Amino acid sequence: MRKYSCLLLSLIAIFFSSCESSEELQDWKNASWSEIKEEASSTTVNFMMWQGSPIVNDYINNYVKPTLKKKYNITLNISSGQGPEIVQLMMGEKQAGSEKGQVDMVWINGETFFQLRKIEGLWGPFTEKLPNSQYIDLNNPFIGIDFQQEINGMECPWGINQFAFVYDSSKTPDPPKTLAELETFVKVNPGTFTISNDFSGMTLLKCFMAEMSGSPDGLDGEFDQQKYDTLSAQLWDYINRNSKYFWKEGQTFPKEHSKMDQMFSSGEILLSYGFSEGGIEDKVLQGLFPKSTKGYAWENGTVLNSNYLGITYNATNTAGAMQVINFLISPEAQLKRAEPSGMNANPVLDISKLPAEYKTQFEKITARQYGPSLDELSENAIKEPAPEYMLNIYEDFRTYVLEK
Amino acid sequence: MRISLKPFFLSIMVLLILFPFVYLLWLSLSADWSFPQVMPDYFGLKNWKALLISETGLLRSFFQSVIISVSVGFTATLSGFVISRNIAYHPKKNTLTLLSYFPYIISPVVFGACLSYFFLKLGIFGQMTGVIVAQFMISFPYALIFFNSFWGEKTKNMEDLVSTLGGNRLSSFTKVLLPLAKGMLLVCFFQTFLISWFEYGLTSVIGVGKVQTLTIKVFLFIREANYFYGALSSCLLILPPLVLMYINKKYVFNKLT
Amino acid sequence: MKNKEKHIGFILFVVFAVLPFTLAFGYALLYSFGVIGIVNEGFTLKFWKEVFTSSTLGVSFIYSSVIALIGVILSVSLALWIVLKYRESFGNKYLSFIIYMPLAVPGIVSAFFTYQLFAQSGFFARLSYQLNWIETAQQFPDLVNDNWAIGIIITFISLLTPFFILLYLNIYKDERIEELSQLSRALGANKKQIALKVSLPIMLKKSWVLIVLYFIFLLGAYEVPLILGQESPQMLSVLILRELKQFDLTKISEGYVMAVLYTVVIMSATVFIFSRKKLRNNAY
Repeated sequence: MRKYSCLLLSLIAIFFSSCESSEELQDWKNASWSEIKEEASSTTVNFMMWQGSPIVNDYINNYVKPTLKKKYNITLNISSGQGPEIVQLMMGEKQAGSEKGQVDMVWINGETFFQLRKIEGLWGPFTEKLPNSQYIDLNNPFIGIDFQQEINGMECPWGINQFAFVYDSSKTPDPPKTLAELETFVKVNPGTFTISNDFSGMTLLKCFMAEMSGSPDGLDGEFDQQKYDTLSAQLWDYINRNSKYFWKEGQTFPKEHSKMDQMFSSGEILLSYGFSEGGIEDKVLQGLFPKSTKGYAWENGTVLNSNYLGITYNATNTAGAMQVINFLISPEAQLKRAEPSGMNANPVLDISKLPAEYKTQFEKITARQYGPSLDELSENAIKEPAPEYMLNIYEDFRTYVLEK
Repeated sequence: MRISLKPFFLSIMVLLILFPFVYLLWLSLSADWSFPQVMPDYFGLKNWKALLISETGLLRSFFQSVIISVSVGFTATLSGFVISRNIAYHPKKNTLTLLSYFPYIISPVVFGACLSYFFLKLGIFGQMTGVIVAQFMISFPYALIFFNSFWGEKTKNMEDLVSTLGGNRLSSFTKVLLPLAKGMLLVCFFQTFLISWFEYGLTSVIGVGKVQTLTIKVFLFIREANYFYGALSSCLLILPPLVLMYINKKYVFNKLT
Repeated sequence: MKNKEKHIGFILFVVFAVLPFTLAFGYALLYSFGVIGIVNEGFTLKFWKEVFTSSTLGVSFIYSSVIALIGVILSVSLALWIVLKYRESFGNKYLSFIIYMPLAVPGIVSAFFTYQLFAQSGFFARLSYQLNWIETAQQFPDLVNDNWAIGIIITFISLLTPFFILLYLNIYKDERIEELSQLSRALGANKKQIALKVSLPIMLKKSWVLIVLYFIFLLGAYEVPLILGQESPQMLSVLILRELKQFDLTKISEGYVMAVLYTVVIMSATVFIFSRKKLRNNAY
C-alpha cells in the first residue's frame, strides 16, 4: 500500500510542479524594429478584448484579422474579456508564476491600466518603439494621460472618444443638460431613464459627480477621499431621491449597455448615453435608432478619454503584439476604423502629422449625418478623474443603490 | 355529455414542445426585426451564409465543441466504467460514492473558479486540453455514480464464473462485462457528452474566452444583443443532440439512481 | 496482480474525483483567510467578518433557495399531473419521440429563448401590441430581469418538467403501478383514491433523491440567472463569480469566503441525503 501512496504523492507533486520552461528571453526593449518585424512574422498573437459591440467585432474579424494575415502572416486570436477579467487573469498568472501568458495584448482603459500597473501586469515601455506612434500626439492630455496617470509608454493609445447623451429629437425636443433638468425630466417622463451597471453607467455617474463638484475640472488631480465622500453622498442621495421615476421604478437596473440600446430603439427609454459620442451613427444607419436621434454633451461636460492597447508582462509573443499594435495605429487601419459605414471611430492620430496622401483621405471622410462629431462636443469635454473614483463608484453604486 | 379535454391538451403540449425549435430556427433566418413588428423585415439565409463565410468563427466553434464533447464523453465513460468497479467492490463503498457526489453536485462555475490556479500551474489554462480536463472532472463523477448500480451481486457472480472457467481479467472485461454493459455505456456516453456539450460556466472560466465553444458563442451574441446570430448558434447547439436522440432515443435517458 | 489493479483503480479514483475537489476547496479556504492571493497580506479573519456582517450572501441564499424550491415543486407537480392523467397517450409513436426533444435544449438556449419571448420588446409583447392590448413596450409586464425572478422560474420549469415526465413514465412502468391500480380498483378504490394513495406515494418515494438533487442543481445554476436575473439580489453562483471577478482587488477574498460557505452547505446537504438514503435502504 505504501508504494501506492508514494505513487499518489508523486502524482500530486507532478500536478504542483510548475512547468517552468526556461526559454531564452529576448530583450525586445532594445531590439530594433526590423528585428521585431522579422520575429513577428508567421506567429500567432492572442488578443483579449471586449467583444460586446458588433461593429467592433466586425472591424476586427473582417478587416484586422485578414489584413494582418496578408501583410505580416500573423494570426490574430481574439479572446473575450474586459477590465476585471483581464486583471483576474493576470493576477492568477502572477500567482501561479506562469511565464507563458495566455494573452499577449489587451484592450484596456484607465481603471484597468491602474490595476494592471498595481500588480505589474504590463510589459513596457514600448509605445515609442512603434514606428507609427510618431503620428500620435502624446502631449495631448486626453491621450498621453489616462485617468490622470501618465501612460509612460506602458500602453499605446488606440482610440479617442467622448461620452455623449442620446435622445430622439422627435420625441424629446428639449433633453436635460444638467442634473436639475434631469430631475424634472424624469418626473415628467417617468420610466424612461436608467443607469446601466457597467462601464457606461459608471462613466455617467462620474459626469454627474463632476457637476456636483461645481466645475468641469472639479475632479481633476489625485484621488481625494474626502472629496469623494462628500460628493458621493450627494450623488447617492440624488439617485435614490429620483430612482422611483427611473425605468422599472428604479427597482432594477440593466446590466449591459447593449440592452439600453435595445430599449432606446423600442422607445422604452427616452434618454440614453454612451461612448463614441453616443454610438449613434451606425445604429441609425442600421435602422436600430430612428433618424431623428441626436447626441449632445452635458452642460458641465462629459468625459473625453482614450482607450489603449497594452502588452502583458508574460506575453509569449511580445514582438508579434508590437507588430499588431503598430498596425492598429497605422494610418491605414485607423482610416478603415473611421469609415462612417464601419466603426466610425475617431482616429487617435494627429492628422496634421500624417503623410499627405493620408491627410487628404482622412479629410475626405464624410461628416456624420446623425451623431455629433468630436469637435462639436469638445467644448464640453472633461478629463477622466483618477481611477479610484471609478472603482469606488462601482462598489458604492451597488451598496447604496442596487442593494439598498 | 362529457367532452374529453385530452386531445386538446395533447395538442397544446406538442405545440409547446415544438414551438422553441421552430421559433429559434425562424429567428436564425431573420434580420431587421424591431419592435413592435411581429414579422421580421428580412427573412432568408443571410445569417446562415455568414456563418460559413465570415470570420465569426461559428463553424470553428462547432467543431471545437464536437471534439471537446466527444473526448470528454469517451474518457469519462470508459474510465468511469472501469474505476466504478473498484468503488463498488470497495469495503468503504458508501463513503467513496459520497465523495464522488461532491464534484458532481457543486456549481461547475464555482468549482472551476477555485481550480483555475491549478490549471494555470499545469499550463493548460485557456487551452482546449484544459477545458477537456475540467469538463472531465465533472462528468467523470457522474459516470462513477451512473455505473454504481451495474456492479451488483449478479455481475460479481458472472465475473467469478469467468475466472473459475479459467478466463483472465482482461477477457472477463472484453468478453463478458463490456458486452453486458453495452447499453449502459452508450447511455453514459450520451449523458457525459451532453454534460460537456451544454456546459457554459466552467468552460468560460477555464477557457478564459480563448476556447470558444458553442455555448460561449451563444452567450457572446446575447451580450452584444445580436439575437439572430444567437439563435443561429442555438440551432447549432440543439441539432447534434436532437439527431443523436432521433437515432436512438433510449440512449438519451436513464434514471440517475 | 489482482491487488495491484485494485490499488491503481483506487488511486485513479482519488486523483480524478477526490483530488480536484479537495484542491479547489483548500485553495478557496486559504484564499478566504488571506493566506494566498497576491494583494493579500497574510492570515486575517476580516474577509469572513465582512461577509458575515453584510447581508448579501444571506439574502442570496434565501433568494436562490426560494427560486429553486418553486422551480422544483412546480416542475414535479406538473410532471406528476401530466403522467397520471395522460400517460396512455405517450404510447403514440410520434409523441414518444417528441417528449424527448426538450432534453436537447441546454440551459443557456432555454434562457435565451425565454428572454426572446417574454422581454418587453419580445415576441409576446409584440403580439400584445398588435392585438392592441398594450400601446408601448413599458406596458408589457416585467417577466425577465424582474423582481420576482419569473423569467428564471419559467426557464427552470421548462428545463426540468420534461425530465421529470420521462422519469415518472419510467417509474410508472418499472414499479408496475398500472397493476397496483387495477388491484386497488378491484378492491373498490376510486380514481382519485388510487392516484392519491397508490400512484403518487410510490412515485414520490422513488424520486425524492432526484428531486433534492435537482433542487441543489438549481441552487447553483449559473447561466440562466446570469441572463434572466437582476442586479440585486442575485443567485448564488452569479454572486460568487461577481465577487471573484470584481474590480476591487482587495476584496476578492470575500468571494472565496462565499465559495467556501456555499460548498460546505452543498456538502452537508449531500451527506444528509446519503444518510437518509442508507436508512431507507436498510429499512427495506
